[in-house]
Amino acid sequence: MRQQWLHGFLDVCLLSLLAERRDYGRGLAERLVEAGFDEVPGGTLYPALLRLEKQGLVRTEKEASTSGPPRKYYELTELGRTGVRERRHAWEHFKTAMDAVVVSPLDAEEVGT
Amino acid sequence: MTPEEEWGTQLLKHLTSTGIALAEARELAGDALAEAAAAGIDPRAMYGPAVAYASTVAQAVRSATATAAPLSRTRGPVVLRLHGVSKRYRRRRVLKNVHLSLRAGEVAAIVGANGSGKSTLLNICAGLTRATSGVVERTARVGYAPQQDGVAPLLTPEEHFRLFGAVHRMGRKKAAAIGTGLASRLGWRPREGVVVAHLSGGTQQKLNVVLSELNRPELILLDEPYQGFDQGSYVDFWDQVFRWRDGGAGILVVTHMLHDLDRVDHVLELQPVEEP
Amino acid sequence: MLLTVASTSLRELARRRVALLFVFLLPCVFYWARIDVSWQAVRFLAIGVGWAVATLSLFSHVGARRLDQRLSVIGASPTALFFGRQLALLGIGVIMAGVYFVLVAATQDGLARLPAVFLLLLTTVLISAPLGALVSLVITRELEGALALLSIMALQLLVDPDGSAAKLLPLWSTRELSAYAIQTPAADSLPSGLFHFALTLTLCVAIAWFASALRLRPVSLSPIRPDTPH
Repeated sequence: MRQQWLHGFLDVCLLSLLAERRDYGRGLAERLVEAGFDEVPGGTLYPALLRLEKQGLVRTEKEASTSGPPRKYYELTELGRTGVRERRHAWEHFKTAMDAVVVSPLDAEEVGT
Repeated sequence: MTPEEEWGTQLLKHLTSTGIALAEARELAGDALAEAAAAGIDPRAMYGPAVAYASTVAQAVRSATATAAPLSRTRGPVVLRLHGVSKRYRRRRVLKNVHLSLRAGEVAAIVGANGSGKSTLLNICAGLTRATSGVVERTARVGYAPQQDGVAPLLTPEEHFRLFGAVHRMGRKKAAAIGTGLASRLGWRPREGVVVAHLSGGTQQKLNVVLSELNRPELILLDEPYQGFDQGSYVDFWDQVFRWRDGGAGILVVTHMLHDLDRVDHVLELQPVEEP
Repeated sequence: MLLTVASTSLRELARRRVALLFVFLLPCVFYWARIDVSWQAVRFLAIGVGWAVATLSLFSHVGARRLDQRLSVIGASPTALFFGRQLALLGIGVIMAGVYFVLVAATQDGLARLPAVFLLLLTTVLISAPLGALVSLVITRELEGALALLSIMALQLLVDPDGSAAKLLPLWSTRELSAYAIQTPAADSLPSGLFHFALTLTLCVAIAWFASALRLRPVSLSPIRPDTPH
């Protein structure tokens, strides 16, 4: 279930992580795990990044790495920065609404018992 | 060939068969392999089967181009107007007093249970069936995709393009170029010399859809293809419907899926007509 | 449009390999069965060719009906669709006539007028193609249509040729022309045969064309009237 939820919000998560700092694909996946999500499979992660790139929200750059082949780094474009702000707003709204529906009835129950 | 390279070759093959240009497909496959190599993981474990990954990637590429430039919606003139349309077969009433006004740049969905007259209504709009009463006004430049038998099993897609192109006085080359271009938007690249009977059900439906829009019609009449369509093709199909809309066509589509209807402009719900 | 329809339906027909094989085989079987009696052999051959071409025509028109409907919705001319398919069938029919003419020329000597054999095969093909189309418009299913054609052709072989009813059959001219090809003192069957052929051809083509145009022509819908002010 959690995996499915993340699927719907993966774009927002990726944009927010990239707003913090530029990163490469594996790096983003690891940061998601650190944050407490399950491992995002490559078959989901890379197409999502590709979609963001195609939409002009991120740009990519190949950079030589100290170990092994060059890595593809992702960073936000100007359009991406605006996108992040809009999506954060939307998320705040959504979160408030979710909390109102899911969390408060539980709280009320706890108080009642 | 190592298993990794084999996977890369497969990916490239599947990417090009979904209509992605070779140069871009090469780059995408190369990136995927490089990324896996850098992470030191077998690409099969990292991305899953090549065919599945290719289809997700292809969809990402196409969906992006679909939404890249969201056009400001402009509604054009009316392209289809139904006024009090009814249909009776002998004593059986099929349609009763249907009204609709569809403008260029709008999508209308016809929904209803089996036997509620959805296909009859589409046929009336196509001019294949005469309404018993009521008025049908329609633009002459129309595209039409029936649910069944809209293609010839023993002709190749290219021959279909030629035949349908000829109706609009297109030359052979032009028709083939336009047809192939439209096909790639649905994630399909027609292979030469393969007759329709040898294509999968989903691919036949894609051909069916492409043929309906060869002449850039002002109005497209469609029976939603769902037999043989997988989820991805289905999403592509609706993306295509909205692309047509943004391109300024009016679309009338008989649909069997009842969610996502808030994205269309008109919903025409037909009821099986009760006999008194 | 006409030529595109003709060339695509020719390709379509050419891909029905097994059907084509039988279409070529059938007259051959008819012919060999009567090879000893030359006038009967030629007649049977012609009827075989007629049946094969008419059946092929029937299947081609029945099979293309939904596609033709679709094409006419977007503005294809029903006339071009009808004559395009007929042209393709004639192409195959003429090849058949040529092949069988060569066969007859190689296996029969003692025919009074050999070129007349080609003429009679050709007229048979010319009548059979629209005849098949005509039947396909009355009987819209393949099996039933093929059986109807079989009945017509069987009648053609069985009916007393001198009776007045025989003249009502579509291939009466074939019999007259075969008489002309075979009989040593020239019978006066050439003009009567040609006249019957011309009449039947005109009737078959005209009726089949008219009926298919009537069936394919979309309902005429009124153009959009400008919006009425509210």
